[in-house]
Amino acid sequence: MKISFNINGSAQTVDVDEKTPLLWVVRDLLDLKGTKFGCGKAACGACTLHVDGESVRSCSFPVKYAAGKDITTIEGLSSGDALHAVQQAWKEEIVPQCGYCQPGFMMATAAMLDKIPNPTDEDIDNNIVNICRCGTYYRMRKAIHRAAEIKNTNS
Amino acid sequence: MMKKSNFKFFLLPLFIVVCSIVMTMAFEIEEVPETEMTSNSLSENAAPANEPFDKMMAVLTHKRCVNCHPAGDRPHQGEDSHVHNFGVQRGEDNHGVAALRCESCHQQENNNYSGVPGAPEWSVAPLSMAWEGLTRVEIAQSMMDPAKNGGRNLAEIVKHLTEHELVLWAWEPGVDAEGNPRELPPVPKDEYIKAVKDWAAAGAVIPAE
Amino acid sequence: MSASKSKKKGLRRRKFLKYSGIGLGLIIGGGYLSRHMWRRSIFEIAESAIVPYNGNLSPNIWFQITPANEIILHSSKVEMGQGTFTGLAQLAAEELEVEVEKIKVVHADTASGNIDGMSTGGSLSIATLWQPVREMAATMREMLKQKAAEKLGVGIADLKVENGVISAGGNALTYGEVVEGVTDWEFPDTPKLKEAKDFKYIGKPVARVDLHDKVVGAPMFGIDVEVPDMLHASVVRPEKIDAKLKSVDSSKAASMPGVIKIVEEKDFVGVIAETHVQAENARNALKVEWEINKSWDLAEVRAMTKVGNGKLTVIQKEGDAKSILDDAEEEGSVVKLEFNTPIGAHAQIEPNGATALVKDGKATVWLSTQVPLITLNEVSDRLGMDKENVNIIPKFLGGGFGRRLHTPNAVQAALMSKAIGRPVKCFFDRKQEFQNDTFRPPTHHIVRGKLDANGNIEAIGHDFSSGDVAFNSALMPPIAGTILGADIGAIRGGAIQYRSIPNIRAESWHVDLPFATSWWRSLGLLANTFAIESSIDELAIKAQKNPVDFRLSHIEDNEAGKRLRNVIKTCAEKAGYTDEVVNGRAMGFAASTDAGSPCAQVVEVSVVDNQIKVHKVTAVLDCGIAVNPDQVRAQVEGCIIMGISASMFEQMDLKDNKLFPVIYGPYQMAMMRDAPKEIDVVLIEGADFAGPVGEPPLGPIGAAIGNAVRRITGKRLTDLPMSLA
Repeated sequence: MKISFNINGSAQTVDVDEKTPLLWVVRDLLDLKGTKFGCGKAACGACTLHVDGESVRSCSFPVKYAAGKDITTIEGLSSGDALHAVQQAWKEEIVPQCGYCQPGFMMATAAMLDKIPNPTDEDIDNNIVNICRCGTYYRMRKAIHRAAEIKNTNS
Repeated sequence: MMKKSNFKFFLLPLFIVVCSIVMTMAFEIEEVPETEMTSNSLSENAAPANEPFDKMMAVLTHKRCVNCHPAGDRPHQGEDSHVHNFGVQRGEDNHGVAALRCESCHQQENNNYSGVPGAPEWSVAPLSMAWEGLTRVEIAQSMMDPAKNGGRNLAEIVKHLTEHELVLWAWEPGVDAEGNPRELPPVPKDEYIKAVKDWAAAGAVIPAE
Repeated sequence: MSASKSKKKGLRRRKFLKYSGIGLGLIIGGGYLSRHMWRRSIFEIAESAIVPYNGNLSPNIWFQITPANEIILHSSKVEMGQGTFTGLAQLAAEELEVEVEKIKVVHADTASGNIDGMSTGGSLSIATLWQPVREMAATMREMLKQKAAEKLGVGIADLKVENGVISAGGNALTYGEVVEGVTDWEFPDTPKLKEAKDFKYIGKPVARVDLHDKVVGAPMFGIDVEVPDMLHASVVRPEKIDAKLKSVDSSKAASMPGVIKIVEEKDFVGVIAETHVQAENARNALKVEWEINKSWDLAEVRAMTKVGNGKLTVIQKEGDAKSILDDAEEEGSVVKLEFNTPIGAHAQIEPNGATALVKDGKATVWLSTQVPLITLNEVSDRLGMDKENVNIIPKFLGGGFGRRLHTPNAVQAALMSKAIGRPVKCFFDRKQEFQNDTFRPPTHHIVRGKLDANGNIEAIGHDFSSGDVAFNSALMPPIAGTILGADIGAIRGGAIQYRSIPNIRAESWHVDLPFATSWWRSLGLLANTFAIESSIDELAIKAQKNPVDFRLSHIEDNEAGKRLRNVIKTCAEKAGYTDEVVNGRAMGFAASTDAGSPCAQVVEVSVVDNQIKVHKVTAVLDCGIAVNPDQVRAQVEGCIIMGISASMFEQMDLKDNKLFPVIYGPYQMAMMRDAPKEIDVVLIEGADFAGPVGEPPLGPIGAAIGNAVRRITGKRLTDLPMSLA
């Protein structure tokens, strides 16, 4: 069936089985590969993107629920060449190792900062529960605090 | 030979569920004496469903209900009612925390592709409605207490118990992450609905135990 | 120089020109291949040696400079997060006299000829390429200078080289301008390399070369490959161990939406469809029957993995430890502890998979692999194609950790592509990934120690049992077991590093398990260090000695001992190590030496409601020269967190031939909340070369936590994952 939504600021219509996970629509139909497949069970968070500003695990989100919504993926997190505060902070702290899980973490972090501009360590522990096998959590925590600073300075 | 045993292993949970349903039905028809019913208890907390109250509480004390009526800030999940993976929390509005909303993973319906269950208003019951650790009588008392039940009167309670999609999800719980069907409550949906209504119509009496 | 060698040079040049059109390729052969890995003694490999680089330095492409002034480094090592690309760029930049960010590092595909014979792993990428890459870069710099001198009409001695520009007087040429139009290059002798004091880029914490791409979500990983006209596939893999594919009923699957073809091979069944989801749905509709050889559960596997079972190799023997310890055990004066570690999953987030195009007698496979050469051999063998017609293109790995040393996915994708004549992408789902992992084997250890009258260790024995790590691995020739005796992976960290103890014995027992176990980051180090360093701590407690001083007093007086001593001392000082429990927090100390790099760690731990919490870790690593100190730190941090995960949470179970859990969550791993909020890393440069980094810090962490818990609770935890409940 035909489903229309906005993704990273532009209108899109896809013709696909309505139960198809949004992840595969984004990755394979729209060729936005930054949103990652990790488990397909909403367990690892690698596929995290935003639906109307809320953090969503797209592997477990049928595309029909995207109809009429605003979707943001890691490719749309920055505006043009200007990186999002979270991406800037990720660069400053040199967070990624293999990098595969990082888009999911950055998207979850961006969603958190929209609601909690100055997260405590406890907020971070409770909100950011994605899995990183390289063990970059230590730098991520620093980067999340730094991203909050950047974001608050900019706004 | 191995194939046969695999088959059995796979079917065992289903077999138990089917037996539960069949036995429940049998009890109703044959009016099995109470002592025997107890020895065949279908649910951890409740005696088997015979009277409307028994039937209703056999459902409400089932993990499909209690997993999301936790006593603390952590919902439970699974047939063993383990604390929800990843330290998921109820949050201020019972829908999770800022970047980890219930809706981050749970949508309006079950997702048989990922095994993530879903229903409208998927959320944790408010703390005032915590059932975890309570006896069936305590749960019933809590349910009837307007201070705890969100100010519902009896008609509203019945409506919630018999019509709310999130409650009725218990009979369509879908499959888990491995594709195995989730266990159903020990009383069929229609019987449960009838039991709730009968119990309410008869004065919503909570027996002393 | 012999005639045949000059001839080779010509070949190399032609190959390069054919490959890159116009530009410069560089090939330095040499003595790096001289000693074959398996022939070196077990002990050397396991404990200290950096084996020489075993890939091709000739004839093939390492560097390429285009007239557009792009400097491209074709890496035979893959980038899986360990920062090798960045380190290689720094090594090259140093001798090429060009800024690091101007060097683009790419994966060498196998058709380029730059194939790594020893895989990416073992913490050896920078360690083995430290010298060759600098030599190649220096040689290229001299070649560029030669041509620049000709073009500028000046003598080589008059040239100045800075930031990728060669100048003389008022004239200057970029490297791109130098290579333009040049087809005939002279290969000079290898120039003298810079001394450490003159390093501009080596030793600096420059940002990762792949940082930007990884922050914007660039399509760089194996699973991101997109080829025109591509189809998607999904394969059936055994859900049970010790099982063989018996029959498949594909009647239902064949008629499902999007399904194009079902491919049945002797060892797998694959469904090819228009989309990934369609392929997976149809695969789930296949009715597959398996023939199970024997039924298995975890208890049986644990019973097999016991010291005394299987094949024994004595890997370390000093004095007469065995009879001293046997006597001491009889008279009750021995400290004896038994340890168990579980089956561990790799659990890297990017699942294994491959995209293949097999058409017109050529095969191309894109994938995340740690072993491009093995992947090449497997694909060409199975397809019956010459290697020249097969190209393996490695992509960035979404985690390696040893999981990508086995790449049957490449063969599967290639066979399916061949069957349909179109490109096919196929990767595992998470359940398959868990069920078909090549696990870290379970282990069992018995450590016995006896103190002398002064409270020093008179004798120590470490007997341990493990499944395959290196044995039966794609990386090892089948005869390796015969040559080496012991499994060189399982024995990593298994020897006692306190060599001034007069009587030492370490015994390795090898068992054959009914499922695949293999290389998991740091191999046997994690388990062996847990057992040994927990026992050393227990002996220190019995001797009523400070565990740091106790360790220091048993270290041999040689170069390795000096480095280990320095690491231990520095770590204790930096952390302010104390035996006392302060404000509910205790410190735990442990140290290990892996592949020649000693590492010590102090953890600060609390226990609340039986929950162990690691608050702070101080780590000191001596890896020699840290080419990129920031990325070395990142590796130490990552090892600590992966070690916490493996020591405190992770374990696979086995029931009715099924390995489980098959998903994150039930397979519990460390998350943000479990990572220490403070990690203090100190690097010591105790050697004048770049030594191994990526695994050695995984050694101490488990024992350090256990030792801290012992101070708080009095309990000695002997099983991983550690639990007080």
